[in-house]
Amino acid sequence: MDAVELSRLQFALTTSIHWLFVLLTLGLAPLVAVLHTRAALAGPKGKRELFERQTRFWGQLYVVNYALGIVSGLVMEFQFGMNWNGLSEFAGNVFGAPLALETMIAFFAESTFLGLWIFGWGRLHRGVHAALIWLVALTAYASAYWIMVANGFMQNPVGHEVRGGTAYLTDFGALLTNPNTLVALGHITAAAMVAGGLFLAGVSAYHFARRTAHTDFFRTPLRLGVVVAALFCYPLYAIGDTQFWGIAEQQPMKVALLEGGTAELQAAMEAQHGPGDYVPPEWIGVPLDLMVNLGWVLFFAPLICLVLLPRDWLVRPRVLAWATVALTPLPFVAAVCGWLFREVGRQPWLVYGELTVADAASPVPAAAVAASLVLFVGLLGALAVTDWVIIARLAHRGPEGVRLGAADPLPAEPDDGPVTADLGHAAGRA
Amino acid sequence: MQTAWLLLLGGLLAGYFVLGGYDYGAQALRPLLPRGGGRQAAMAALGPFFFGNEVWLVAFAGVLFGAFPFLEGPLLAGLYPVLVPLLLALVAGKAAVQLRGRARTRSGERAWDALITAGGLVPALLWGTVTGVLLNGVAFTGDHSIAVGAALASPTALLCTLASGLLFTAHGAAYLALRTRGGTAGRAAVLLGRLAPAAAGAVVVAAASALVIGGAPGNPVVAAALGAAIAAALLGAQTASRRGRPGAAFACTGTAAAVFAALPWAAHYPYVLADAGGGGMEIGAAAADGATLTVLSAFGAAVVPLMLAYQAAGWWAFRGRVDDRTPSYL
Repeated sequence: MDAVELSRLQFALTTSIHWLFVLLTLGLAPLVAVLHTRAALAGPKGKRELFERQTRFWGQLYVVNYALGIVSGLVMEFQFGMNWNGLSEFAGNVFGAPLALETMIAFFAESTFLGLWIFGWGRLHRGVHAALIWLVALTAYASAYWIMVANGFMQNPVGHEVRGGTAYLTDFGALLTNPNTLVALGHITAAAMVAGGLFLAGVSAYHFARRTAHTDFFRTPLRLGVVVAALFCYPLYAIGDTQFWGIAEQQPMKVALLEGGTAELQAAMEAQHGPGDYVPPEWIGVPLDLMVNLGWVLFFAPLICLVLLPRDWLVRPRVLAWATVALTPLPFVAAVCGWLFREVGRQPWLVYGELTVADAASPVPAAAVAASLVLFVGLLGALAVTDWVIIARLAHRGPEGVRLGAADPLPAEPDDGPVTADLGHAAGRA
Repeated sequence: MQTAWLLLLGGLLAGYFVLGGYDYGAQALRPLLPRGGGRQAAMAALGPFFFGNEVWLVAFAGVLFGAFPFLEGPLLAGLYPVLVPLLLALVAGKAAVQLRGRARTRSGERAWDALITAGGLVPALLWGTVTGVLLNGVAFTGDHSIAVGAALASPTALLCTLASGLLFTAHGAAYLALRTRGGTAGRAAVLLGRLAPAAAGAVVVAAASALVIGGAPGNPVVAAALGAAIAAALLGAQTASRRGRPGAAFACTGTAAAVFAALPWAAHYPYVLADAGGGGMEIGAAAADGATLTVLSAFGAAVVPLMLAYQAAGWWAFRGRVDDRTPSYL
């Protein structure tokens, strides 16, 4: 593989890892905010204590998931320049602005507020504290919007003109309202909410399936998760389907690859852009099919779960409870498949019809890219697996494993004594 | 407008060196703190600001791409051999700080601890390497590409790496001395007393190297003055700490970190990327088109004061000292 192929593989793998964590961040943040609001509104004599424990449990999973989202995103932000400096050379006037605004408007706020939220238990005013997690959720979606403005420009370049080999911003409004961006953002939002809903439902159903002592604790999250997933499964399908109308217009080659007619388009593109291979890899049909088939499962399963919610019918037979658990990973698999179809299907273009991936690659030796590929993917992959193990373990333990917001300080420790989450919690509210 | 955005870019980098810098220093010094409670307190001290500090780097990179795209490409691609280990260390260190508390075994904790320390020490050193490369000047191999091999091997880059490691660990010690109680604060003050003068000396030697054997900065007087200012601030930190004024000591090391961030940019202005052989890329060639900067400025004018306001509100809400009984949640 040459430097271009290695750079592509590196970017694809780091983005895939990033995307898996971002999807859960986007899906969980509003749900944790809902739980926290309920706790903040409850009276001290009512169920506030239970509601707070629920918020802290799901908040803990959210925070552990977020850790990998941040670090993988940091790597990606630098990879634009490190591996694709032709992108800034050609489209810096257009592509950089949404990324700059994403960091300043959205991510800066999201991360700052999350830090304050994590440490706000017992320190901040109840209302302010709950408002913080809403700000985190809001800025997470603002972040997604700006990233999709940049990505939408790669898919369907609008709002600019090319003079002397450089793109200039001419219509910022067109960039912000790029149909490709808006439709994809809608699809992503629905996907994230289905993923978040099924995550709540799956983890909760696990405790019902194993008949643990925490089923009362998990009844509300089970219902909230199923209802949210059921609410968003139709938008997920409908907006996803709408995307194909745009693709047919914006990226005819992607559709031709599925429906035939690549030869004519190849000839037309050669006439327009000079010789080259303008057909994306044929295998992109595989992830597309997988996503669509999973999409049907993700469309019907939440509705079936919804029907079975009353009187715990969904989780009384163990086999149904386990089936609900089994749904948890499906949105993530579908999301990566959808991302592969979207981005690999754009090849060989980085900015569709204007800049090829090969022309955008930085003049970095292949050996250097190979080394960084192995190191980045090795480290992020190891951390990702570790993070999922931690999430699974926390989910398995239930409310007793939660450190986040545990009421009392740690007991004094002897020198060199173990300082573990388990011991730490003993002083908590178990 | 280009100058305003360069100032914002510099401000974000300086903010990152000050805020992220004390995180790295505190992480790197962790093994030198008293076992058990002392290290626990150091983690609690990183506390709520840890998330809000790292974002200054992200905002710096975002503004670099948005406002100076023609600098971003060559700079980041050219710095590939430095950025790869730097990013690996940042990733490992940041993940470790956030996940250490979830470890269930002693060996798991030891592994996270090693990553926390390395994730502080390596960035503390390598941001100095980046600063040294910029101060020394790079080699332009085309309009949009640079090579940094010679700059990396230059005495300036090596001396800046050393100075930076000492500066950030001194800064981390000043932070711990200010933010923690009891034995941890005492130990941190002792470390500050040793690290600050060493850092001051290293900065003077590094600045002298840049002036004498480097690519001759366009503004030698500015470079010399800033180098002297960093050294003076570090010695001031030592004095303030000895007189029992940890707040003043932290302000001094913070100033040193901020000026260190500004040093290569001020030394070479109006070049934003200097060629070691003279000349370089001027601000006009690096900046985005006027139409883009106008759009960005409209948002920036509204958002930058907000960013500062909510960061400051967070510092205020969590002011005060912590110890090993402070819940860390991390």
